[in-house]
Amino acid sequence: MSSHDKYQSHGDSHSSAKAPDEGAYIFLFFLIGFALSMVVGWGVFPTLLYSKKHQPFDFNHKQHLQIVDNGCQSCHFFRTDGSFSGSPRLAQCVGCHNEMQGQSESEKAFFEQYVVQGREVPWLVYSRQPDCVFFSHAAHIHGAKLDCVTCHGHMAASENLKSYEQNRITGYSRDLWGRNISGLKHNSWDRMKMDDCAECHARYQVVHDSSVQTGRDACFVCHK
Amino acid sequence: MKLSRRCFLSFSIGGAVGTALSPLPWKLTDDLSIWSQNWPWTPVPPDGESTYVDSTCMLCPGHCGIRVRKIDQRAVKIEGQENTVLNPGGGVCLLGLSGLQLLYSPTRVKGPLRKIKDDKGLPKWESISWSLAIEEVAKQLMDLRAQGRSHTVASLVGQEDGTVPQLLKRLIKAYGSPHFYHMPSVEDTQGAVLSLSQGIDGFVGLDVENADYILSFGSALLDGFGSPLRMMRAINRLKEQKGTLVQIEPRLSNTAAKADLWLAAKPGTEADLALGMAHVLINQRRFNEDFIYNHTEGFELFAVMVRNSYTPEAVAVTTGIDAATITQTALAFAAAKRPLAIFGHGKGQAPGSMREAAAVNALNALVGNINRPGGLHAMPAYDYIDWPAPFLDGIAYAGFNAKRVDGSGTPSVHRFFEAVDAAPEKLQLLMIAEANPSYSLTGCGKIKQAIKKIPFVVSFSSFMDETAMQADLILPNHLYLERWEDIPMRAGAVRQTVGLCRPVVAPQQNTQHLGDTVIQIAKALKGTVAQSFPWDNYYACLKQTMGNQWQDMNAKGAWEKEPAVVSPEPGFKTESGKLVMMNEPLKKILGAIVPAPEGDEKKFPLQLVAYDSIRLSSGYIGNPPFMNKVLPDTVLKGNEGFVELNPETAGKLGLAEGQSAILTTPHGQVKVRVHLNHGIMPGLLAMARGLGHTAYDGYLSGKGVNTNELIGPVEDPASGLDAAWGIQAILAKA
Amino acid sequence: MKQTQIHNEQPPRRYGMAIDVDKCTGCGSCMVACFSENNVPFKQDETDKLLSITWMRVYQLTNGKTFPHTEVAYLPRPCQHCAGQHEGHSPCVSVCPATATDYSADTGIVSQIYTRCFGCRYCMGACPYHARYFNWWDPVWPDGMEKYLSPNVSPRMRGVVEKCSFCFHRYQMARDKAYTEGGRKVQEAEYQTACAQACPAGAIVFGDLNDPSHAVNQIVKPDAHNHYKSGNPRAFRLLERLGTNTKVYYLSSREWVRRSGDNYRADEQPGMPGAAAQHG
Repeated sequence: MSSHDKYQSHGDSHSSAKAPDEGAYIFLFFLIGFALSMVVGWGVFPTLLYSKKHQPFDFNHKQHLQIVDNGCQSCHFFRTDGSFSGSPRLAQCVGCHNEMQGQSESEKAFFEQYVVQGREVPWLVYSRQPDCVFFSHAAHIHGAKLDCVTCHGHMAASENLKSYEQNRITGYSRDLWGRNISGLKHNSWDRMKMDDCAECHARYQVVHDSSVQTGRDACFVCHK
Repeated sequence: MKLSRRCFLSFSIGGAVGTALSPLPWKLTDDLSIWSQNWPWTPVPPDGESTYVDSTCMLCPGHCGIRVRKIDQRAVKIEGQENTVLNPGGGVCLLGLSGLQLLYSPTRVKGPLRKIKDDKGLPKWESISWSLAIEEVAKQLMDLRAQGRSHTVASLVGQEDGTVPQLLKRLIKAYGSPHFYHMPSVEDTQGAVLSLSQGIDGFVGLDVENADYILSFGSALLDGFGSPLRMMRAINRLKEQKGTLVQIEPRLSNTAAKADLWLAAKPGTEADLALGMAHVLINQRRFNEDFIYNHTEGFELFAVMVRNSYTPEAVAVTTGIDAATITQTALAFAAAKRPLAIFGHGKGQAPGSMREAAAVNALNALVGNINRPGGLHAMPAYDYIDWPAPFLDGIAYAGFNAKRVDGSGTPSVHRFFEAVDAAPEKLQLLMIAEANPSYSLTGCGKIKQAIKKIPFVVSFSSFMDETAMQADLILPNHLYLERWEDIPMRAGAVRQTVGLCRPVVAPQQNTQHLGDTVIQIAKALKGTVAQSFPWDNYYACLKQTMGNQWQDMNAKGAWEKEPAVVSPEPGFKTESGKLVMMNEPLKKILGAIVPAPEGDEKKFPLQLVAYDSIRLSSGYIGNPPFMNKVLPDTVLKGNEGFVELNPETAGKLGLAEGQSAILTTPHGQVKVRVHLNHGIMPGLLAMARGLGHTAYDGYLSGKGVNTNELIGPVEDPASGLDAAWGIQAILAKA
Repeated sequence: MKQTQIHNEQPPRRYGMAIDVDKCTGCGSCMVACFSENNVPFKQDETDKLLSITWMRVYQLTNGKTFPHTEVAYLPRPCQHCAGQHEGHSPCVSVCPATATDYSADTGIVSQIYTRCFGCRYCMGACPYHARYFNWWDPVWPDGMEKYLSPNVSPRMRGVVEKCSFCFHRYQMARDKAYTEGGRKVQEAEYQTACAQACPAGAIVFGDLNDPSHAVNQIVKPDAHNHYKSGNPRAFRLLERLGTNTKVYYLSSREWVRRSGDNYRADEQPGMPGAAAQHG
């Protein structure tokens, strides 16, 4: 603060007399700036960053799970070629929903707008990875014997679909970065970024050493 | 209290510290880096269930079995079937692989179109409904019929085999016109020779798989001749088993490059070379005596002609191949166990010279390899379509028996268009299916002109090709990946096989199956025409026609006829029961030398030939973008096409590699670039066939030169079909 | 500490190719098979070959003799998937500042991750085979043609480098199936590149160079102790003297073809045993 010293050395008594007060006053501005930016960073920014989208209609996982025989795989199954089917297609749903099942609003929306018209339901997939990712469900479910909860959380117990939040910049689902804007996580399913894949692979000592560049998994293991 | 500069600074620092401690900068950095990697406009192909649908490729006469990979409802890849009747060796060619670019092409006709005039009197297309389109054709046809001019209606198809072209043929007959044509090909010539020498109306089968010595008279065996994949596999097998391939051709084609012996005979002298070889066999008594004496007639006559006029020395002068090579090659051919001589230049898209076909046929007869393993097989015509004859009323009877405008014995497309050009009133309506004559016939400039004179042209094309552009009405057919159709195999097949083309995806545009369109037109015409078409729709017609074979065909993708019991007798259907080596008609043919190519040699000192490349589709199907992408930059650069010539010739003309030049023939003048190639005969110019489209979009249009605009047809004196192998030309610095 | 995956208990796989130049007819089906399998973009004008993206490219070779002694041969060139002198020392991998290209010791495949690449093009400068291509433009599919794009391969964007991956996505898919069927091994027929599958001449053979049951191993007879040099007298590799230790082997009975694989001195023989010992 050489300019400050210079200023003082010129003997500006007016300012030096009020120095203690002004110090607090200036610190107040620091606090205001700090507080405001914290509000923006933690509060306003996440709200602005994500746009909320609604699923075509609500869905009750818990209720369905009580009806089907084979748990999650009743609807989210492996095809014979080893690929994973993801969200069910209309053809699977109409197995039961060829006529209205109950009178709920979402059932009505589903039946009238999709079953009757033969349209696929444009589900918004919370866990959709970007196009460059090749995620092998087979390797994790059949190979590593993981359960669905490890990555997807307690989806099976949900009675409603939460709203889908889309990152305005990347177009990714919010669930990839995680609900916590700071990126902190408590559960294995809270985040789904590449670092989280790596962390889990390290924790369970399934790190392959095939990459010459990194000594870890080679890129082509999970990318395409 | 005043807000000082320090307050502001402090506020900023506070803000900066707060921001740094908030997730904002870190999250934003991460998001922006992701954004920069995944731009939202980069397409993300939707994932889904992967399935395969088997069908038959219809993009060339080879008709390979294809397997189409689908993701949900989208077709994403075409592959070859593995080890099936239609594709015994697996694999698929680049045209077959590019099929999806045709299916999803923006140049497809989106639905029925009618040409109307806009306010300024300029032609433009108007979209109409299918019912209106059918009504319009029916109205035109009924009007002509009412005027007693049913014979002024014609139809041109790509080829005549199978239920769909036959339905169109039936319509023309029942309506009352003699004018039904197909696009010319080498099979016309092969068939004519087969009929003369063996008395069999059918097509030529080439048992290339079992031959051990193949003498190819300019056939592009590795560049798309006949059934391209089958030929490639056969040549590979031939090489693996140490057989011999001899390629006779003035340019080092891919086939010549793989041949054990490349004989660069002067173009147009192939018949002489064949007869010169025949001379060697006869003179040195190296022909198959058992076959010649027991199963042929007219051998003596043939021998006399050959002895007198085709000594190797004389032939050496004509062909430019020295006498010793002719002799050695002929002897090696005769010494082989299963020698096979093949007729048909390039891919076989032009009929070629009857004399050459007869000479090559005689070579095969001399070695006795007819209807035997590894030889030339006489294949009877397909007879599974056994519909009752159409009902003909008075008008139909008179019209069908009217004289054809081309006047020749066999229908000739070139003569037909010439006649139309000369006397346009003779033709009022033309229907064109699976053919693009304004582009793919030699001398297409004249063809275009003739089509322009026809009052009403109906096109069934799926694409906005050159001919469709000239039409008054387009009733677009489904593409092969969207339709059912039976596909009788020809193209040198040695076993009668009918492939099944089946829909892989739902129609992508508002198109309709040509079979349905024909049936609907017939029904709209009422009376006996409608009576001749008892089927509700094409699918019903196809199912009924295939009868008992239908289920089997559906399950296997093809129906293979049981091979005829192999008998020691070759089974010729001539009067004598023998193969005719020589009789009056054949003598005439063997003496019918194809006229020299058009043009005065003094004015046009060079000769231009068009060559076929497997990387260029030159028929009805325009080259898809993927195939243009693999064209060498010595064939096409920017929009400029290349002409190939020997460095020696180029030196004389003062031309260097890549230089621009003006190429002139009696038919036209174009700007080209030159490519120097040691593998081409000095004095010759060669250009690839299949470029220079004027229709389609920017991926195909305006690229290179259409050789058919530079080379006109030369009528074969025996068949009346096109036998042009080139044209006189001049090349000068631009 | 690190646990190597089950399949690493066996010798690592080493995917490679044997291309018979004498069989290749130069038809170009391999190139188109590759385009359609790998969502390779195309432009209206593809005649500037420096700008034309062709993971697989068929080159024409000529013996340079005059008419009528001219001979030509065709040489299909995918990425050579160089192993270098010590496994993974590929020319491109060693210069990539972004870890966008990587060498897998598990398969021997050189990968390229488009989203990781920032387009410096060092790798293109390093690659002696011109096997890498830069996207100068965003890919554009004519209206409707984006429908045939495969979901198994990511379409690339402007500003990144791309190259042949040995159709690695097919390996991923085959492995998925193998996992589902009890974690068995991926069979030879299950993982084939699009070019090898399409080749009408059967000129391209693909498989594991380390697996004696695979055709490619039987053809190439690689010597694992001598930089995988081939034991087949018909075999040669491109620019073998650079020590790139490539996994694409070419076969020809014609000496002029074999000699065209490198700039040999007149007294040198193609595929000399000592040649690969020079360090790259």
